[in-house]
Amino acid sequence: MSKDDLLKKLENAIVMGHLDADDEGFDGTMEGTPGTLELVDKALEEGIEPQKILDIFAKSMEKVGELFESEEYFLPDMLASAECVGEAMDIIEPKLQAGSNSDKGKFIIATVEGDLHDIGKNIVATMIKGAGYQVMDLGIDVPAEEILKAIREFKPDFVGLSALLTTTMIEMEQVVKQIREEGFSDIKVFIGGAPTSKEFAEKIGADHYCRDVMDAMHKLEEVKAAS
Amino acid sequence: MIVSDIQQKKMLSPAEMQLIHEGTCKLLSQVGVKVTHEGIAEMLINRGAQRKGERILIPQNMVENALAETAKTISFDAPNPSYGFTVNAAENQVKFGTGGQALYVVHRTSDGWERRPAETDDLKKILALCDQLKHVDFITRPVECVVPEEQMDVEKAKIFRDYCTKPMNFANLIKRDRLEEMLEIIGSPAYASFIVCLISSPLVMDSSAGDKLISILEKNLPVAISSCTQGGSTAPFSEVGELLQLNAELLFGYVLANVIRPGAQVLYRGIPITSNLYADGSPRWCQPESIRRVALAAQLCRYYNLPCCGTAGVSDEAEPSAQGISEKVLSWTYEAASGAHYINSALGMLEQVMSVSYYQYVIDDIALGIVKEKFKEYPSDEISNIAINAAVEALNYFGVSVDEKVKGELASRIRHIETPLEPYNEGYIDEQLAIIEKAVTRSKSSTVFMTTARKGLREGYLYRGNRIDAPLDLSRVTERLESIGTP
Repeated sequence: MSKDDLLKKLENAIVMGHLDADDEGFDGTMEGTPGTLELVDKALEEGIEPQKILDIFAKSMEKVGELFESEEYFLPDMLASAECVGEAMDIIEPKLQAGSNSDKGKFIIATVEGDLHDIGKNIVATMIKGAGYQVMDLGIDVPAEEILKAIREFKPDFVGLSALLTTTMIEMEQVVKQIREEGFSDIKVFIGGAPTSKEFAEKIGADHYCRDVMDAMHKLEEVKAAS
Repeated sequence: MIVSDIQQKKMLSPAEMQLIHEGTCKLLSQVGVKVTHEGIAEMLINRGAQRKGERILIPQNMVENALAETAKTISFDAPNPSYGFTVNAAENQVKFGTGGQALYVVHRTSDGWERRPAETDDLKKILALCDQLKHVDFITRPVECVVPEEQMDVEKAKIFRDYCTKPMNFANLIKRDRLEEMLEIIGSPAYASFIVCLISSPLVMDSSAGDKLISILEKNLPVAISSCTQGGSTAPFSEVGELLQLNAELLFGYVLANVIRPGAQVLYRGIPITSNLYADGSPRWCQPESIRRVALAAQLCRYYNLPCCGTAGVSDEAEPSAQGISEKVLSWTYEAASGAHYINSALGMLEQVMSVSYYQYVIDDIALGIVKEKFKEYPSDEISNIAINAAVEALNYFGVSVDEKVKGELASRIRHIETPLEPYNEGYIDEQLAIIEKAVTRSKSSTVFMTTARKGLREGYLYRGNRIDAPLDLSRVTERLESIGTP
């Protein structure tokens, strides 16, 4: 197989959300065939430059985004493709030369203390990672001090906070307050979750309220473009 | 309301339910439940469970002993004794009540509907309203009090004492140390019951909920052990897979409850709904596939001969609408026909569980009355006929002219509720168990459930139909609210 053919196969695997040979892919027929991870390994073995592989990631996700917008793809399809890119990034990153532009920024994401819900957070984390951001997912039920500690160490550009309970919205407010009190005024804070709203985001000093994952992605790209 | 033997809807055969039971036991004994509460883990191990890392494995005999031991009749008394009732697992009596922990109240203005945050005063007014509504048999806390967390239980108890004469379901206990005080305030422990969401899906015990369950059962109070899985995000997208996981989460609750208190008064509250994978993953409470799955859970509960706490009528609509009425009628009808005894969240709820509306309580009281009338009027009729006739009459009552297009949409929804799309066999059950095991052993279980949902999504597991759009004539609802004195 030529290098071009290999990259085309990789693009197709990502668009089809085919993670690895154990995965059934978009239409349930791809199990047993090489998936994204095997194809990335092969591409590196064949000596294809990591930057070229990164370009394929971006091209594939652009196509997936278009398919989602045109309603040919649904949420799981988009998530599967993002997961392919996210996991493949773990293979590519160590191979990149210093100075290569592998990521668009650093993003910390967490569900705040007292709240055990993780669906929305996980979807957003996967999508953001798939879009090329470095993501540190702190998990669920995360105390404010742990989020602050991670901010000091990871130095993110963005922080995403999720809450599904009215009781934990209060905790979200505390986290934002502490982020600002510690002087991290440049960090853009995104919030989301069923009980939250644009008004609530404004009230607690968060920069952006995200209605859903696509809203989060659009707002993140807007902020990135503006900076 | 009594459901006749002929009206009972059995969408699963006994053999299919036995397969689900066997699969559930396999899941509990091989994958188990993550329990980080050391005291509870020890209690379970002392009674025969095994530890595998952080997970507690429950052998089949422990499950079956708990099912045999648990209470089969539960009484719900009320300050007004005439409202009290008993749920008997073997009978087909159905009671309906309110529910939810809604954040918002949807109210009517001259410009239409508006949503505002719920306040303590709303709790008082909703209780006062529902206390007068004919088809509200019990009252589950619809909104929380806006007071500091420490005071929520006590404040809620005072409001129930002052505004509710029906059986009181407080839903979640916030602070264990306020329980005694709550019971003193309401006048008798026999009026009170609770709901505990013991498991965070998939298969992780919530330690705080475990402590609350202990406190509630120490007082020998009735409690609904609840699991609300969302197929495609917190559980398999497959109906079979979701039922397996839901049942395992609930049966774990029965095991624990009967370890805490043998013969515990527990209701089985299974809410296997779906996630909207066409869009943002939000829950679909009242769409045909969810109505079907929740009905299957009720049927499974009755297979075990347990008192069943159903859930029906949680509309996905944001405001009162013809679509919402249709969703609710189908949901009540199939849940009642499938064996639920004590149907929670049945009235007043909108926008999944996010909102309630005074108007919706009255609309639901009227529409539920129509459903009950149809069950009574046609004791030998197919449930699909009862559902469609009730929906048509309810829509007509609110001024909606039901043409062939609307009837066609109702029939299409009913077909989706009644039509199995997946096989119930050992091979398929094993496939689903493998998906659940993969999900619980990974940090992002929702990604596993979503990415394995792609095939089912294209095979039509999520219903895609048309909205039933028509303006409602709510003049009689307004009159009724005014006559009751609710603004």
